[in-house]
Amino acid sequence: MVLSRRLLGVLLAGITLLLMATGVPAATVPVSVLMPASFADASAPLVREFNASHPGIRLEVTRGPLDTESVSDLAISSLLLGSSPYDLLLMDVTWTPKYVAAGWLEPLEGWLGDDAMASIAPGADLGNDFGGHLWRFPMVASMGLLYWRTDLMPAPPRTPTELTQISRELQSKGSVRWGYVWQGRQYEGLSTVFLEMLRGFGGRWIVDGSPTLDSKEAVAATRWLDGLIRQGISPPTVVTMAEPESLQVFAAGQAAFMRNWPYAWSELNRAGSALAGKVGITTMVSEPGQPHAATQGSWGLALTKGSQHKRAAIEALQFLTNQDSQTKLYEDFGYTPTRQAVFRDPQLVAAHPELPELEAALANAVLRPLTPVYAQISDLLYRELSRVFTGRVSPERGMEQLQEQTLQLRRTAGGAI
Amino acid sequence: MNRLLLILWSLGPMLWQLYTSFRPNAALTGNPLQGGWTLEHYQSLLEGNPPFWRYLLNSGVVGLSSTLLTLVVAVPCAYGLSRLGRKTARSVNVLVAVAAAFPYVLLFLALLQVARDLHLGNNLLALSLPYTGLSLPLAILLLQASFRDIPPELEEAARLEGLGLWQRLRWVLLPLMAPAIASASLLIFLFCWNEYPIALTWLSRADLLTLAPAMARIAGSSVFTVPYGGFAAATVLGSIPLILLVLLFQRQIVSGLTQGAIKG
Amino acid sequence: MAPALLLLLAVFALPMVQYAWLSTQAQTVLTGLEPQPVGLAQWQRLLQDGRFWQDAFQTLRFGLCSVGLELVLGLAVALLLNQPLRGRTLLRTVSLLPWALPTTVMALGWRWIFNDPFGPINLLLAQLGLPTVSFLGDPSITWLSMVWADTWKTTPFVALLLLAGLQTIPADLYEAAALEGANRWQSLRRITLPLLSPYILIAVLFRLAQALGLFDLVQVLTAGGPAGSTESLALYAYINAMRFLDFGYSATLMLAAFLLMLLLSGGAVLLWLLSRPRLAGGQR
Repeated sequence: MVLSRRLLGVLLAGITLLLMATGVPAATVPVSVLMPASFADASAPLVREFNASHPGIRLEVTRGPLDTESVSDLAISSLLLGSSPYDLLLMDVTWTPKYVAAGWLEPLEGWLGDDAMASIAPGADLGNDFGGHLWRFPMVASMGLLYWRTDLMPAPPRTPTELTQISRELQSKGSVRWGYVWQGRQYEGLSTVFLEMLRGFGGRWIVDGSPTLDSKEAVAATRWLDGLIRQGISPPTVVTMAEPESLQVFAAGQAAFMRNWPYAWSELNRAGSALAGKVGITTMVSEPGQPHAATQGSWGLALTKGSQHKRAAIEALQFLTNQDSQTKLYEDFGYTPTRQAVFRDPQLVAAHPELPELEAALANAVLRPLTPVYAQISDLLYRELSRVFTGRVSPERGMEQLQEQTLQLRRTAGGAI
Repeated sequence: MNRLLLILWSLGPMLWQLYTSFRPNAALTGNPLQGGWTLEHYQSLLEGNPPFWRYLLNSGVVGLSSTLLTLVVAVPCAYGLSRLGRKTARSVNVLVAVAAAFPYVLLFLALLQVARDLHLGNNLLALSLPYTGLSLPLAILLLQASFRDIPPELEEAARLEGLGLWQRLRWVLLPLMAPAIASASLLIFLFCWNEYPIALTWLSRADLLTLAPAMARIAGSSVFTVPYGGFAAATVLGSIPLILLVLLFQRQIVSGLTQGAIKG
Repeated sequence: MAPALLLLLAVFALPMVQYAWLSTQAQTVLTGLEPQPVGLAQWQRLLQDGRFWQDAFQTLRFGLCSVGLELVLGLAVALLLNQPLRGRTLLRTVSLLPWALPTTVMALGWRWIFNDPFGPINLLLAQLGLPTVSFLGDPSITWLSMVWADTWKTTPFVALLLLAGLQTIPADLYEAAALEGANRWQSLRRITLPLLSPYILIAVLFRLAQALGLFDLVQVLTAGGPAGSTESLALYAYINAMRFLDFGYSATLMLAAFLLMLLLSGGAVLLWLLSRPRLAGGQR
């Protein structure tokens, strides 16, 4: 055994020498990945490590825009232009069906094996396959969390009513200016916020291909969110807030609760932060008996059909998503892992007691509808919610119209969403 | 008083951006009296990947190549039109004027198709093709008007001297056209420098982006804080070349703008 | 001449032909991005699409308001610049600057200026003890913020056009009017406006067409929000193509926007033709 391995080594070295001697350059295969800026920055050390340990491959990360929608626009325009310059795309969970239907991706199970997903933690395994194939391998898990101030309350609220109660008390005492900040701008983030409340009130977005957005649960969820603004628990500017704006208010100590993704944890606890050690995370509030839902927002790597270097690209994909890489991404940048083994690493858990909380939230993850027309149905949802929250229409009427519009979209789409 | 108002109205927003770009983020969203001054926003822009000057360079390349190409195509066309009868030229000109006013953003989907079919995406020089097409109407109107201003006797005399068409153009007409050509070039350059929707769909590689789509891409906010200071520094850096251009060539730009409208 | 005109046809006319064809096809992510003939179904969908009508209304509202405002302000600036003032060249240069900057650059700037509560206007309001204004968060205000930003940028263009027109008006007309005892307002109405009307028409036509192609500003400033209150037709068409991958409908929308523009420009020309005799009559 040892002998044969040594033999192989000698053989390889010999071939390499031969190639060098005969003047044939040891061809390096270029692999390019498109990532949103934040991920590109975080994975830069991993890329350096990969290139050092894989002399035959030259992995290059294109730093895309920061904002998810803009990254999607960029990926789509490069794919539409035909010869895409990217071998791998770091994709949001909601893009997969659309990209698959457009014929842009290469199935992964042939490269990674049918059991590739076995090592992935529950919750992170959702939203990677569509139509019987695996299209995306999760690199970073993400899910909606409720951030709460441990210095202001003994335990986090578990129901919507508790949340508003605690908020009001703290606001009237003057401990905080606002109760709860979330993402209310007209954009995809609003859909993720709403999905959590919708499930928390027992409603559903799409059931068996039909929208159920005018259900009384859906109206109740909308009314609750709307009420937060009307009652002054959330600031009126919440309707212009995306993640950074809400984090800004919360980090300044002006709010008791915030809905955000896991990345905010490391930002809030970094040295110099006014809230270091004063923040807890938990799952979103829900009505008694309903799930504490966390919208799944994982990012995964997908292989483009037009890639000229699929084998090398797969090698890079495997490296970037292995246990070691995920541990580093978590320790250095706070990006939630997707592999069960990382969540269960005793050393890591000892150093990061919040890790089990993240695992629990991930297990509660709910998916946004997996459909090629997701962008349309979500666009309808956040537009209509924005109309409700800016006082253009009542929650009841808004949800009625939304249901009607979603049905209309289903008709245009040929009866299936 | 009126003058002061005009200056305030025009420069106010830019001055606020200038001020913002030198202030640390904490001072912008916290106490406005604290924090002092900083160069960090400019530093991070210039050290970014790709560095900010790259976008300016790309815009410059596209602007120059498109301007040249447009002139090459527009000069003969304008000459031809100016030598046509008034009536024929007038009806052609109406169409050209319609094209000049056309909200060209409506063309992006068809042009994207062109880029896809002919593999012209992600190529700065190829981007000059649609830009040339889009700036042609204005160039034709401007140049034609100034061709008409040249007395026909002058060209006639040159012809009697035995000069061919190209020689007449090169040695007699073009020198007289220099001011009009300068105005037209500046306007075309400005258009190409500022163009957004076509660049947005034709360029997807970060190192090839021109200024306009690069700015829009910066606009997608960062995950941690909203980098207002960085945005402001970007707007300042993105404005400087144009401010210089306007300061240097104000007269030509103005005459181009007004001539285009009056004579067209 | 021929190559230039051919290029013009290729860039401007061919797309419209292509859209006309594409608007009879379904080419979406559900057809695997292959075109499938659907007859007039896209047009039927357009007519029933409330969002199309809303966006058409919003685009028109934006266009008419910003062009109207630009005319008024532009005329004021042009009158100012037409006077023999000290530092006129400098003034002209300064007022030209906003026009020269790329829209996306200043749109990013306006996002910060309109910020609630950290933008300069809101800082000022807060200093004065007044409530802040949600420039970008209130559907009934945000479109006005956009008109503001657009007016800032394009007033110089209109002003320069009108200034060129003003300079063609012979000074003795004003002198004669002054002798007859007309005040400044009367000579503005009787002499300046009628003689300026062709220039006003050109400015209106050009600006209206451009305003109907509203895209750069709204994409960077608001992305269509809040509550879809600032979405323009061009942005809706862009979203359909690049985000929904629904090319057939996107083409339909763009063709519809084009037709709308033709209709409106035709209307403006007609209005001008109708008002001309009356103005000319009032002049003498």
